[in-house]
Amino acid sequence: MAISDDDIELAKVWGDRLGVDGRADLYRLLAKRYAFSDEEKKRIVDFSLLYAIRMLETAGAGLAEEPGLDLVWSGEQARTEMYETPVSSIEGFEFVGKVRSFDNKYWRMASIRSPPKYRQNYHLDELLFTMENSDRKVKVPVTDAITIMAWSDNNYYTGKWAKQTNLSASKRSYSARREFTLELAAIIRRVIRELIEKGVQEVQIDIPAATQYQTRDDIKLVTESFNETTKGLDATFSVHSCFPPSTGYGILFPDLMEMKKCERFSFEYGNRDTFERGLDPKARAGFEDLKLFKEYGFKRQLGVGVVHIHTDTLPSVEVVRDRVLYSAKVTGLPPENLYVNPDCGLRTRRPEVAQKMLDLVVAGAEQARRKAA
Amino acid sequence: MTEYQISLAGLHARNESTIQATQDWERSRINEAALKASFEKDCSSLVALQRSVGVEYVTDGQLTLAWQDFFRPISSGFEGLEPGPMVRWFNTNTFFYKPIVKGEISSDGRALSKAVERRAIDRGGAAKVILPDPLTFAELAEDRHYRSKEKLLFAYADALREELGSLASSGVKYVQFSSPSLVYRLGQKPLSSAGLKQLGEAVRAALKGIHVRSGFHTIFGDAAPYLPSLVDVIPTDDLGFDLTETDDSSLPGSGKGLIAGIVDSRTTYLEDPASLAGRVEGIADRTGAKTITLSPSADLRFVPRVSADKKLELLGRLREKVKGGAAKGRRSN
Repeated sequence: MAISDDDIELAKVWGDRLGVDGRADLYRLLAKRYAFSDEEKKRIVDFSLLYAIRMLETAGAGLAEEPGLDLVWSGEQARTEMYETPVSSIEGFEFVGKVRSFDNKYWRMASIRSPPKYRQNYHLDELLFTMENSDRKVKVPVTDAITIMAWSDNNYYTGKWAKQTNLSASKRSYSARREFTLELAAIIRRVIRELIEKGVQEVQIDIPAATQYQTRDDIKLVTESFNETTKGLDATFSVHSCFPPSTGYGILFPDLMEMKKCERFSFEYGNRDTFERGLDPKARAGFEDLKLFKEYGFKRQLGVGVVHIHTDTLPSVEVVRDRVLYSAKVTGLPPENLYVNPDCGLRTRRPEVAQKMLDLVVAGAEQARRKAA
Repeated sequence: MTEYQISLAGLHARNESTIQATQDWERSRINEAALKASFEKDCSSLVALQRSVGVEYVTDGQLTLAWQDFFRPISSGFEGLEPGPMVRWFNTNTFFYKPIVKGEISSDGRALSKAVERRAIDRGGAAKVILPDPLTFAELAEDRHYRSKEKLLFAYADALREELGSLASSGVKYVQFSSPSLVYRLGQKPLSSAGLKQLGEAVRAALKGIHVRSGFHTIFGDAAPYLPSLVDVIPTDDLGFDLTETDDSSLPGSGKGLIAGIVDSRTTYLEDPASLAGRVEGIADRTGAKTITLSPSADLRFVPRVSADKKLELLGRLREKVKGGAAKGRRSN
């Protein structure tokens, strides 16, 4: 598809607004509109990484005394999306078509047709670029094995375990999931090890599918997969998950506490919350699940999702502030152990909405800090 | 002698053109008329496939923009409801907006008719619609009004009756209630026998005075804890089972039709028709069911369209096999 006038205008507006270095080169490149060489495509993608980095570094400017996020990344701009990129770089998968996740949102499903094998490190280039272009601490998000398993068509292992007719249907199905997951975990461990060798200190293991399969065995597998993935690795690990079933995150407990190397859990809460101000459970209904961490004696760090990312309707900064304060209240954690973040990635939002959400995160956190002081 | 029918069990996967159209529409690259045309074409091709496979009660695959999730025409179209936060749909990577009950639930009987693609179905034969059963609605909705599960069950059932009346008047011949919540008891005990009876009464209330064939399909879980009483309690003509979760040996004999969710709707892995046929024949022998509807275990929206269609075609081949097997059996007798 050719670059349109609107695309160029959007690039200019945001390039100027974010003060992206060398943006005139991008504008010149885009003016070509089509028939880009591979080198030109790479430069355009690099600029998109740069735009994302600058957006995260400047979030909250004009609203907060200390703008910007503490941990930055290049917005996964180099990735098709969090599933397709790893799956494209691991042997054994074959794309079979798109599946609808909700509304008009889809993912391109791949089917596993033979045991997965490492082919290449699919995050190395973006890591090096991000480290080179930001002075802030870099956090690299890596899609975990459970999610790749759950979003894939488990063709190979389903067929393999279908032959075990002495097992019940559910046991066969679980065994197919577990074997697939653990094979993937070993590959992802290698990917992360190579990233750590290049200097990254903070790795976020993305497990949006943590609550997809909900049997006790499957929940244990989420922890087993995390522990296998991080085995022998030395970095600060966090875990992100979102959009659980209507029963909430409770199904992950107590097994979650066995993720020994996880320093921080970052879950989505804003989606289920009200737009009313206040620190009472009714106003902060979406944050009730946080109590679980206190119940299970969790003393490490928490990331709290304070802005729902699948709507353009925004809460006020005061509501975000109250969400942060309430999180501190119900978990009993010291403020320095709380990280404030959007519920999940912002790729479904237009840039101006994404920026407003990031502004809210930074400004809400700062107001909470002031109020708590 | 068992009669074998074929049916879809829920929302069908959109085809690649419709997927592209929805994305283009969201980016304002096409207008709503073009989007609607894409859905209609998609729906027509699914109807044609159902006809070629020999499906008796044809669905539109819920291939309209109205069915953004299984509750949406209800949570957006019924009085007293609105869509709330986004929540995971059981053990899938699909999501729905939780219905929020803000007031008395009622319906003018037109919400679902507007959501069904009738023109396409009418070209295919007898029309079937698939709806959330009262229990699934009551358990997944957030009740801020009735504060009573019983009241909520029956309020939903009463509103549904209005809708079903309109659908039946317009020629719909079959209504299937899909009930994941009955069998997928995440962190909950199986429904008590009193609860089950209450559900049966709610289904009865929804169908009261509605002259259509009806089915109740349990998906995503093992129905064994409710058998055989489910047969007597649920007042539908057919009772359905997800046979990736419920063992064939649990299925009871009854005078009802049996919906056999025998083809796994959660994987592109295509089962061997001969092996499936053996299972179906075993089920027919064991239950003595007069009608067995061969069906996917659940909706075919969890795999891409190409695979979903292959699964439907597999059901056609399966029926040929079991019919052939039955004929052979008759000859050898």
